Amino acid sequence: MSSELQLPVFSNTTEQDLSGIWGMAIDQDVCTGCQACVAACAMENNIPFVGEVDAGYGRSMQWIRIERFWQGTFPEVKMTPYQPMMCQQCHNAPCEPVCPVYASVHSVSEDINLQVYNRCVGTRYCANNCPYQVRVFNWRDYTDARVRPELTTLQNQLNPDVTVRRRGVMEKCTFCVQRIRHAEDTADSENREIRDGEVVPACAQACPANAIVFGRIDDPNSQVSQMGLQSRGYKQLEELGTLPRVTYLNGESNNGRSS
Amino acid sequence: MAVAAKSLPLRKSHAAEHDDPREHLMHDPRPRGEMNDMVIESMHSTTWKYWTATGILAVIVVTCLFYAWYYLIMNGLGVAGVNRPVYWGIFLVEVVFWIGISHAGTFISAILRVLKIESRRPFTRAAELMTTFGLVQAGISVFLHMGRVWLAYWLLPFPNERGLWPDFHSPLMWDFLAINTYLICSTMYLFLPLIPDLAMMRDRSTGWQKVFYRVLALGFRGTEGEWKNLHTAMNLFAFAIIPVMFSVHTIVSWDFAMATRPGWSSTVFGPYFVIGALHSGMAAVAIVLFLIRSTMKNMKYFLRPEHFDTLGKLMLMVSMAWAYFYFNDYLVPWYGGDKWEKILSTFIQSGPLWFLWYTMLICNIVVPWSVLWNKKWRQTPWLLAITGFFINIGMWLERYIIIPETLTINRMPFTWRIYVPNIEIFLTIGNFAFFFLLYMLASRVIPLIPVWEVQEGQINHTLRKVGKVELPTLSEMD
Amino acid sequence: MSDSVTLLALFEDIDPAANAIEKLHDLGVGDDDMNIISGVPIPGRVLGRPGAITYVSRIALTGAILGMLFGLSLIYGIPFLYPLHVGGQAVYPVPIGWIITFEMTMLGLMVFAFLGLFVDSGFPSYTPKEYVPEISNGKIAILFKCESKDRKKFVDTLTKLGAESVKPAEARQL
Repeated sequence: MSSELQLPVFSNTTEQDLSGIWGMAIDQDVCTGCQACVAACAMENNIPFVGEVDAGYGRSMQWIRIERFWQGTFPEVKMTPYQPMMCQQCHNAPCEPVCPVYASVHSVSEDINLQVYNRCVGTRYCANNCPYQVRVFNWRDYTDARVRPELTTLQNQLNPDVTVRRRGVMEKCTFCVQRIRHAEDTADSENREIRDGEVVPACAQACPANAIVFGRIDDPNSQVSQMGLQSRGYKQLEELGTLPRVTYLNGESNNGRSS
Repeated sequence: MAVAAKSLPLRKSHAAEHDDPREHLMHDPRPRGEMNDMVIESMHSTTWKYWTATGILAVIVVTCLFYAWYYLIMNGLGVAGVNRPVYWGIFLVEVVFWIGISHAGTFISAILRVLKIESRRPFTRAAELMTTFGLVQAGISVFLHMGRVWLAYWLLPFPNERGLWPDFHSPLMWDFLAINTYLICSTMYLFLPLIPDLAMMRDRSTGWQKVFYRVLALGFRGTEGEWKNLHTAMNLFAFAIIPVMFSVHTIVSWDFAMATRPGWSSTVFGPYFVIGALHSGMAAVAIVLFLIRSTMKNMKYFLRPEHFDTLGKLMLMVSMAWAYFYFNDYLVPWYGGDKWEKILSTFIQSGPLWFLWYTMLICNIVVPWSVLWNKKWRQTPWLLAITGFFINIGMWLERYIIIPETLTINRMPFTWRIYVPNIEIFLTIGNFAFFFLLYMLASRVIPLIPVWEVQEGQINHTLRKVGKVELPTLSEMD
Repeated sequence: MSDSVTLLALFEDIDPAANAIEKLHDLGVGDDDMNIISGVPIPGRVLGRPGAITYVSRIALTGAILGMLFGLSLIYGIPFLYPLHVGGQAVYPVPIGWIITFEMTMLGLMVFAFLGLFVDSGFPSYTPKEYVPEISNGKIAILFKCESKDRKKFVDTLTKLGAESVKPAEARQL
């Protein structure tokens, strides 16, 4: 099942070298559910720890989450494949048009969905409208050492390439856009294209089973394109027409649909 | 045995059964000076009960609204009950609820004016005050739900050196424009018929009150030119604010209808919400009118059972229209819609919050339909007020089901979670207290009855002898 | 040139007032020299006078057009200057254009109707004017200009027709 790239023509497209249409492939058949990707993403992107109470109330801040389901009733319980769920960077993202202040816009050059932290006023319409529920809100000052003194020493582990968000601001997976930009800059300065495998987001880097593959899906020779073209591949909630950039590979019945 | 030619008891003549037309306000004219004095007396007589009630409301407002809001701003939305996936909770319920209540004011003062329904005359201003104060509460609730409310001015389209503008693709921006338009226009529409009454207050006050009313009365005298201008402006407003009223709650409904959530992406939301607004609004008018009539002096002359009768008939019609739209919205997912919408319907009807759904249906349909068909019951103010109270409970629950309860179910079952309100409870109590507080303060500052409109109506109404009875007759001067 | 005086005649009801106005017409007082102040709006034709002219509708229409232009500039002018792509939607959205333009047109219409009332009636105005507080008690006042030598004749005629009082109008602070 191949994914069709539809590039609409806008009348005011800024002329910019397309550095590549980025996409991801996640092989659910080899994912072990170890959550190394979750931890790596949190370290890379300065995601705060919300504490036990808030996490129990559904406020845990995970840009990528591993969804676990089971089938059947005890004792004939069967696990379904683990489902890593992160921002699908939809081409027709439903989260984008509903932000009243343009804090959630589409990057024409990389074709990913950008979240502008310092513009967000916290109406949370984007989070309501995301069909994958991958958007994460800063409910409190989780990162402020004045409010949580235990964070004082943990501030040393913050990634200087990524903004630290304050409360009232929406955030989500960015396909590690800081790493994409870094690779773009390096490639620009060396006057070459970005090589396949040069940009590795934190989740892909940490995965011990190599279940997450990232690259340019407009390049038919890249690993992610070839994985995406496999018959095991499907898109989540494809019927909504969001045109997501993440292909899931699952050899199970029903075309691998998770639900 | 001969057929007993028992004659049927003759029905009493209708004339004796019909109420005396002089029971109606329009046929019971008093000199304008006397009516003015009655209104002024009702404004100036404040008992210890009034001050106690105002004091309690003020205390509630300061603690449950202002202090709780301060706490919310300083600590973030974490102190509220919202989470994933219920990102919008009671604050949005309050927004929709108060905008709904505010629509009744416009309905009464604009639509009833355009349709020339004369019995609207004494209570247009009381209803319009509900509009303005309801919109104030809605505005507060909008600010309550924002994550970084100190940047709320970014929703204003103003030129700046960074070229940042708001996004008009967003239904929230349509909301922003529509609600502000409605607030500005209905405040102006409240003020326009108030000018002659402010002139009347100006003529009868002394001291600093006279200065206050003189400034607000703008130097109005009542010359032909001034009346013509005022009448033209009021007619323009009445015609123009009706489509604005319809558009405002439709746009509010589009906040939900534009979303991809199961249960929200419904095309019937526009008219459904407008009728829902009228439903809760007319019910609130009944409560407010009952409170005014029973607590303020001389109001029993102005607000009579006939007005409650009109209100009751409108409430019944709107309740039936609401049931029609709700059934529309219910039937489509039930029949064979989206799998997720079916799961949502099952969750609402038989999930852990099933009692909310049943309460809503009982309050919105069973209560009005069983009370409002009877003319005598409609004319009983306290009964209408209780019916209105239940309808408002039902409509508040309807919005609760539509917002936090519907958000619980989405297409990613891993994220489903029930919403438990936290600080929202206090802020809701504070909102309601603030509404009543504003109303109580306004009732002593501006006359609640538009006396000039009542007199205008009384001039237009006469009794004409036709056959054996005196029939009320309405003439139209303009 | 004899001096003229402005008299204010106070009437209780519409019928005597209308008769008085007709009598004043007979006595030579033109419509332009008369002004009617009342506690309820009474259309001119009821009193036998030409109706007042109002410019409020024209001002309101201007406001509606300005509002429409403002709305159009918001929804199409802003993306023209600062285009941003969101969700695959058109940069110049047409249905949204209807919504925004409608709201701003109505806002312009009503704000300008309100301001038009202010402009056309000269509000707010706190200078002394001819007025008596009884008018807000529902009375009808006829202000008219007449020669001071004819003053007694007018006073007698109007009192016979039912005027409560006929006095020289004095401009007082309202």
